[in-house]
Amino acid sequence: MADQAGASNAPIPARTAVVIGGNRIPFARSGGAYAYSSNKDMLIAALDGLVARFGLQGERIGEVAAGAVLKHSRDFNLTREVVLGSALSPETPAYDLQQACATGLETVVGLSNKIKLGQIESGIAGGVDSASDAPIAVSEGLRRVLLDLSRARTTQQKIKALATLRPKDLSPNAPTTGEPRTGLSMGEHQALTTAAWEITREAQDELAYRSHSNLAAAYDRGFFSDLMTPYRGLTKDANLRADTSLEKLATLKPVFGKGLDAPATMTAGNSTPLTDGAAVVLLGSEEYARSNNLPMLATIVDAEAAAVDFVTGEEGLLMAPVHAMPRLLQRNGLTFEDFDFFEIHEAFAGTVLSSLAAWEDADYCKRVLGLDGALGSIDRAKLNVNGSSLAAGHPFAATGGRIVASLAKTLSEKGGRGLISVCAAGGQGVVAILEAR
Amino acid sequence: MSGTSREEVTLPDVPALPGLYRRALALAARRTMRRAPVALAVPAVQHRVDGVRVDLLALTRFQQLLGSAARDAVPSAYVHTLAFPVAMSVLVRPDFPLPLLGMVHLSNEVRQARRIDASEALDVVAWAEHLRPHAAGTQVDVVLEVRVGADLVWTGRSVYLARGVRLDTAGTGGRRDEERPAFTAPTPTGLWRLGADTGRRYAAVSGDWNPIHLSPLTAKALGMKTAIAHGMYLAARMVDQAVPAPSGPLHWRIDFATPVLLPGSVTTSFARAGDTGHRTDVVGWSAKRRHPHFTGWVRAE
Repeated sequence: MADQAGASNAPIPARTAVVIGGNRIPFARSGGAYAYSSNKDMLIAALDGLVARFGLQGERIGEVAAGAVLKHSRDFNLTREVVLGSALSPETPAYDLQQACATGLETVVGLSNKIKLGQIESGIAGGVDSASDAPIAVSEGLRRVLLDLSRARTTQQKIKALATLRPKDLSPNAPTTGEPRTGLSMGEHQALTTAAWEITREAQDELAYRSHSNLAAAYDRGFFSDLMTPYRGLTKDANLRADTSLEKLATLKPVFGKGLDAPATMTAGNSTPLTDGAAVVLLGSEEYARSNNLPMLATIVDAEAAAVDFVTGEEGLLMAPVHAMPRLLQRNGLTFEDFDFFEIHEAFAGTVLSSLAAWEDADYCKRVLGLDGALGSIDRAKLNVNGSSLAAGHPFAATGGRIVASLAKTLSEKGGRGLISVCAAGGQGVVAILEAR
Repeated sequence: MSGTSREEVTLPDVPALPGLYRRALALAARRTMRRAPVALAVPAVQHRVDGVRVDLLALTRFQQLLGSAARDAVPSAYVHTLAFPVAMSVLVRPDFPLPLLGMVHLSNEVRQARRIDASEALDVVAWAEHLRPHAAGTQVDVVLEVRVGADLVWTGRSVYLARGVRLDTAGTGGRRDEERPAFTAPTPTGLWRLGADTGRRYAAVSGDWNPIHLSPLTAKALGMKTAIAHGMYLAARMVDQAVPAPSGPLHWRIDFATPVLLPGSVTTSFARAGDTGHRTDVVGWSAKRRHPHFTGWVRAE
């Protein structure tokens, strides 16, 4: 009873949803410029810039969807609180979404579907994350005592609840990047995949180098001038090293996969650092854009999600987009040849290179993806042409908004078709197609 | 198996483990003083407790400690936890030939016929059999059967080794330890980080307060290097992770190789067996020392 929609359904004819524009704040390294900024602060900053750029003050938007991966319990209604703190009409509804690193892209998919169905005319999608201002939880022991205490009616019950408190209960729990079911960090998971696909250190450093040089070049030609609002003194992504070189990258020591038999190849240079930041995208129907005299950068064509069984090692943790891709392409009757730009989120250089290797491997594509042969190769000159997460940084839920806005702008300048691939914790991934107008 | 000629002793209730451990200590002290020779057979008795009930709060705590979904179905390993004191009451009988304290848990094999609901009353029978020589001492099987009404729903067989205890039989001391093949670690799929309090936390949810699991001091008192993880804790995590949502019969086995010292890390591999797709093969090992802690498999049938 597998869901076959991925491969065989024809896309449902519906209205068209377009990307009107995007805005983000520069991404900061964890503990850097936004060390004391909260998720709410940063998402409001990104939204303020979007509102200003497109004159949305006082506007009632159809719906705002956003999320954060590391979220405080007090931020249960984060996006709605952000809307109330912004210049948008307080009558703008909002909801939170969480799909780990695919959060931002999934908000775009969800809202564009509502636009296509005619449920809303306009939407703002996005995400935010702070690794600096991360929630810290009290220990399980203290939490139990506090909850029991709140339920206690009599003094005797209260004393009884307090008596179970132990000194060790007073030390807090900080969030980790470990997968709950395996205990391995994301980096250690990727190290297994990187080793399985025999991705070399040189290839990973080369990809990291290109990410930095492409992002630096994009800044130099002013590409981000209408995609970004400075915040807290930052005007560029703090992680960008315009002057880095393959030689410098080669000096870094491996940080993941050191316990494996294969040589450790993943360094701080070819892995994304912990980052703070926010990104939002303005979406609308064609009618909405025309009647409000707004630009239409690109059409949101279609999207597909996938998940893989990484718990038993059947597949790599970050390889779900590899599975989503053929289903999305088949449904739309397209191949890699039909695309002019590829945005593959660089969680780690090894993630991108393992995905490319998998799609080029005829045996794997037949055996695992059920295809007739290799899915195909991607021309490296079309890959992440304005840099990606290795250079810009990766505030988890903000990455989708960054990619959609950058790709939509590239398509509006150069024309053609673009493909997005984002991997996520939990063995999940989302891929999407954008098309120039 | 329960049809063989064993005298049945029905206990009014599941005995409390701390009391059983105290009795084991007293027995050990008396044996040391008397230096009694080891009897050649296990007593032909089985102990029985009817109508064992699952405490829902205790079940929830157990499930949450393992990170498993707190369903109303009883985890396969938790049935062992519930029934284990009945088995222990057999092992602390004065006529049981081996000393309980310091016995090493070698393996566990469980066949579960169906999902067991937390609301069901369980009838437990336990006995020991197959006392036999082992290269390092003497081993014995401890069998637990759990019924709901007339249905046999769960059978567990644990093998224990009493190190250095020799059966007074003619012939050799059982099979010699074959040269163990060098351990080749499979590709890891996970990592269990076990804190120093792992034994105490598992004791709190399982009731198994065996001192070798609680702290370095209490473990050293019993001749261990330091505190070690409960075998059933490792087994419970293995079964739950291999089949997170069991719906029908379950068959699993775990063989313990070397103890997991606390605090410590166990690198794990969970691999779906190629042939059936229903079996998951599991290995837990120390990446640092390159030796296995346990191997096992879980089959959802």
